[in-house]
Amino acid sequence: MGTINSAFSIMSQALEADQAALNVTANNVANANTPGYTEERPDWQQNAPINIGGGINGMQIGQGVTETGATSQRDRVLNERLDQQQQLASASSARLSALNAVQTLFTPDSGSTSSSSAGDIGSDITSFFDSFSSLEANPTNNALRQNVLSTGSTLAGDISNAAASLNAQRTALDQEAAGVASQVNSLTSALAQLNLEIQSSSPNGDAGVLEDQRQQDLSQLSQLIGINQITTENNGLSITTTSGQLLVSEGQSFQISTGIVNGVTNFFADGNNITPQLASGGGQLGGYLAARDQDIPSVLNSLDQLAYNVSTQVNTLNNGGTDQAGDNGNAGDIFLQPTQVEGSALGMSVVITDPNHIAAASLGAGTGDNSNAIALANLASQAIVNGQTPSNYFSNFVTTLGSTVQQVQTENAAQNASITQLQTQRDALSSVNLNDEASSMTQFERSYQAAAQVFTMLNTIMASALNLGEQATVA
Amino acid sequence: MTELRVRAVYPELKQLVSEASRALASLDANRLEELALSCQALNRDVAPRSAAERAVLARQAREAAGDLAVFGRVLEATRANLKVMRRLRQLHDGRFGYGDPEWSGNMHGHD
Repeated sequence: MGTINSAFSIMSQALEADQAALNVTANNVANANTPGYTEERPDWQQNAPINIGGGINGMQIGQGVTETGATSQRDRVLNERLDQQQQLASASSARLSALNAVQTLFTPDSGSTSSSSAGDIGSDITSFFDSFSSLEANPTNNALRQNVLSTGSTLAGDISNAAASLNAQRTALDQEAAGVASQVNSLTSALAQLNLEIQSSSPNGDAGVLEDQRQQDLSQLSQLIGINQITTENNGLSITTTSGQLLVSEGQSFQISTGIVNGVTNFFADGNNITPQLASGGGQLGGYLAARDQDIPSVLNSLDQLAYNVSTQVNTLNNGGTDQAGDNGNAGDIFLQPTQVEGSALGMSVVITDPNHIAAASLGAGTGDNSNAIALANLASQAIVNGQTPSNYFSNFVTTLGSTVQQVQTENAAQNASITQLQTQRDALSSVNLNDEASSMTQFERSYQAAAQVFTMLNTIMASALNLGEQATVA
Repeated sequence: MTELRVRAVYPELKQLVSEASRALASLDANRLEELALSCQALNRDVAPRSAAERAVLARQAREAAGDLAVFGRVLEATRANLKVMRRLRQLHDGRFGYGDPEWSGNMHGHD
């Protein structure tokens, strides 16, 4: 060997290898704008060297290289991290959207032209109890009595409408969640099919376009639901929900089924109800379910508490006084008396139509007495709703809702920032040379170090500013 | 008038904090290092201010509290992302370190 023929052979193989590498590069350029496409790099394999001579004096002559294919510059660990962050961001986005709608409902003057608005509940409470204060001055005055019924109706109407709106939002979320489940099922079927194709075509290497497609489907799935990815033999992949229910096992997919339980859609895997796990698992589905099953019920419960306690306390006092018709202890209820806390807000309404049935006088006193009207007015300043006055209870409820929205907004902003960082790193990894990759890592380290400094200093500045500001105010 | 003067000299804290979050999200190291210098200067100047200026700064601090919470969470996420990237880097270093000596020793065939 070692002849001119072998030299030509080496050169010829090198040229073929270069040509193949150029094809890979051309393919990268052609797909530069293809969504989900991962840049490929040519793989080179050294040809077996030729041994000349033998023993310790022998020498090896290289036989050149052959281009053996292309490897996509994807990194599964990074993609998986990105998918996980996407799951969290999608969940908080979906939840935030629902919470914003709820908060809008309770914002005063939210643009509603209707005279009834949940945003006015705070002022409705004040107006209602103020109407009893007005009645104190002239307990037999029909217009003032009529005003009690009118303000009571407005309060009850606004609370009831708010509850109805919340139920409607819950129903809308329920439908969204059910729709997500069917998208999840389509994607898991597609992923199982892709697994089969990848395992059959590239059991030991990168499957190129098929792997890109699988990654795209995984990214889409991550927007919909929280998942774990488990790499299996022969380039296969199994997928479970974050709580461990199997969705894809290599070539087989397992569908999520739905059914109505207590009026809302529940989700089942392998016969088990997995709805609570999905609610905390991430993705749009997690966000929708968290809003449907936790946030909105919590808001409804607060409204129910308010409606139940106000109705019950007002009715009790009214039935303990004397009305304009002289009925002692038999004036009747002002509000529809709820039998339990749940549903009280939705059912809240004024049931008396005759203003003479308002018991302004105390039991046994003449109809001109105002003692019971005073007692009814005083409910405004008594801790009759979970240890708080009605106004304070409602005000704290709105504040708590605002804090929850703020907290989810913060989480969402941070998660989206994290996604941006990871996408930047993934792009750096898949589209540049190794030196640039190292430079990108240095940039990451520098950014983190500088940001940590900025954060520490801002924290100090703000703490000092607040302390200094308080001193200035005192001074 | 005092508030206007303070604003003319220093940016609102809220803007500074949200700018830091944006820079960190896009891993803009240069901008973050500039912001670190700005914060150093601001930190030096906090104490000697007049009562009115300090009150303005206190108001700004209250308004920026929510944005600082976001920045804190972005920083937290960045730390986790950096951990992932360091591990990846180690993996890559291992892969290339393993292959390099053998590869470079037989390059003459391709030449």
